[in-house]
Amino acid sequence: MGLIAQAVASGVVTGAVYALIALSLVMIYKSTDVINFAGGDLLMTGCYGALMVLAANAPFWVAAMVSVLGIAVIGAGFDRLVLDRIARHTRGQDIMVAMVTATIGLSYVLKGTIRALGYADEVRSLPPQFTGPPIMIGDVFLLRQDIGILACAALAGLILFLFFRFTRLGRGLRATAEDPRAAALIGIPIRRMRMLIWAIASAIAAFAGVLVAPKILMTPDMGGIVILAFAAGVIGGFTNFPGVVIGGILLGVIENLVGLFVSAQAIAVAPFLVIMLVLVLRPQGLFGGGALAIRKV
Amino acid sequence: MKIRSAWLAATLFLGLGGAAQAFPVGDPVGPYADPGITDKEIVIGLFGPQSGPLRNFGFDPQGAAQMWYDMVNKSGGIWGRKIRLVIEDDKCDPTTLNGVVRKLVTVDKVFLLNGGSCTPAAVSAQEYITREKVPMVMLNAAGDTALFPPTRYMFGAFGGTQLTVGGTMVDFIAKELKAKTLGYLGNDDDFGSANLAAAKYMAEQRGVKLVAVERVPVNIVDITTPMLRIRQANPDVVMITTYPQPATLAMQKVNEFGLTMPVVMAVQSIPNPAALVKNIGGTAAFKSFYYSSPLNDLTDGPRQQWVHDMYKAAFPDRTPTAFMAYGMPSAQAVTYALMLAGPNPTRESFVDAMSHLKFETGIMAGPIEFGPERRDGMNSSIFIKFDGTNAARMPGVFVNEYRGQK
Repeated sequence: MGLIAQAVASGVVTGAVYALIALSLVMIYKSTDVINFAGGDLLMTGCYGALMVLAANAPFWVAAMVSVLGIAVIGAGFDRLVLDRIARHTRGQDIMVAMVTATIGLSYVLKGTIRALGYADEVRSLPPQFTGPPIMIGDVFLLRQDIGILACAALAGLILFLFFRFTRLGRGLRATAEDPRAAALIGIPIRRMRMLIWAIASAIAAFAGVLVAPKILMTPDMGGIVILAFAAGVIGGFTNFPGVVIGGILLGVIENLVGLFVSAQAIAVAPFLVIMLVLVLRPQGLFGGGALAIRKV
Repeated sequence: MKIRSAWLAATLFLGLGGAAQAFPVGDPVGPYADPGITDKEIVIGLFGPQSGPLRNFGFDPQGAAQMWYDMVNKSGGIWGRKIRLVIEDDKCDPTTLNGVVRKLVTVDKVFLLNGGSCTPAAVSAQEYITREKVPMVMLNAAGDTALFPPTRYMFGAFGGTQLTVGGTMVDFIAKELKAKTLGYLGNDDDFGSANLAAAKYMAEQRGVKLVAVERVPVNIVDITTPMLRIRQANPDVVMITTYPQPATLAMQKVNEFGLTMPVVMAVQSIPNPAALVKNIGGTAAFKSFYYSSPLNDLTDGPRQQWVHDMYKAAFPDRTPTAFMAYGMPSAQAVTYALMLAGPNPTRESFVDAMSHLKFETGIMAGPIEFGPERRDGMNSSIFIKFDGTNAARMPGVFVNEYRGQK
């Protein structure tokens, strides 16, 4: 029983990080219909950005802030300089193809830049911010770092919820995400809103990276975690914020239970089996709306 | 060991020189059956990753090979011929390497190929070189899948294959740590399969019971459950043979779970011991920690000093990685086999000479040895005890006995 509880506890923490990245993806998808394949590499760049600032002997919180803000600027700049131009100069279905391709391009640019800066040689990490002996609950011990990750992820989720629900800007962003045409009709500057959404979503990815780097470690290929965030999105329902959070946590737990009861080798396959099952049985995700709510990209 | 004396010793060892004439000078006479050889020179295609994400695996080893060939040329060459290198960048990418190999053979018309720092890329050339009957001596790729089963024209594994790594680790764990039970964590790919096969065989030979075998994907994010199962099995020793990222995650768990049994890590798991300590956040997990090495000493140990001195003299602007020395035995083997092949070598006589080569490198843990049915060069490891701050070589050289037998 202790083993199961331990595996579930660790899975919840990992899943919370999947959920954060998935939130970033869903924000962009809902507002622009674009699947952001660079989400994982924005996270990765955020980690290395923080590492570079730390190397200049800055305190951790300064490094984290600089990194999150820097990635927000990259995200906003990418939207304004690349996606916005594509949107204005491309027509019909080609827009989506071009935009998704652009995000793949951004992914390679970010990865290539980090490698070119000489960070490809070894595994790295950011210093854990929550240290001390583990907390024991029965047979299960919880690392302070894991509790910290979970708390920060929950706090970030709560702040996002409050921001989108109760602020004027947040409501404008939601309106843009839900129906850009209607939002434009009532005077919401949707270009600016989309840029802001890219900035916020990129910042969330960077925040998730800084949070999780001590746990999953850093390599220029760590952005591959975005695939698991996609899986979380599909499981939870790609248009449903709370559903995505639950999908992420479910995925983290499922991975660990599969590792415990089947084999460690099956961990890599489990998310994709779950995706296929969900797509076959409930294509809109466990918490998504009706099947017709799934939009074609 | 001075480099010139190493060359001289090898020449005498192989019985091709003399006290007065250390460097073989013959009377080469054309025309020659194969391309890439004249009365004055032998052309060798030297390649490895000079750019791209895997550059570190081969850039310095290629430099080490290059400096060996330069030294041989400065000493008079082989049978009066100078070695001319055609250097190419394969990026450790199978497609690129295939293009490089074809270009070297068909355009540059090299006599032989000396290259390949990554197994998947090096393996991709096997079909072509076998068809064209061009000898290929891998630079520093482990190359299990290229060398088992052996094929005539491909040689390699100067740092040992994964069979060597897995087998020697268990030899060390049984003999030195006196373990009776073992928890194993490895990769779930070809590399991992080879390593585990040797580990299982050697465990059986040494009376060690594998009480937990966990194989993980290379991109695993959370390694909690495999490590929980190993902890539950409570082995005498934990053996870790994954790539660096899962290995670091595993050591984090060793630290978090407070495991006190010895941990033995494979060379590929720990490219930089100091970075491992930093990533784990302390030295507590290193109370009883060892790692394998195919070299004959610590990279900064006295037995490795001559290679580093030589490299520094050849490339004053470079700071070599830990992989640097791995490149030299490959070039040594090529030059020794060219000597053995006589004054008028062909590709076939070169392959025959390679097939009977056995020599000490002055660099690696054990001798390089090929045979008519053996294409992997090295089968030994040493072990290093690392407490998180200081590293010390453990006594003895450990040998793998598994060669694919059932």
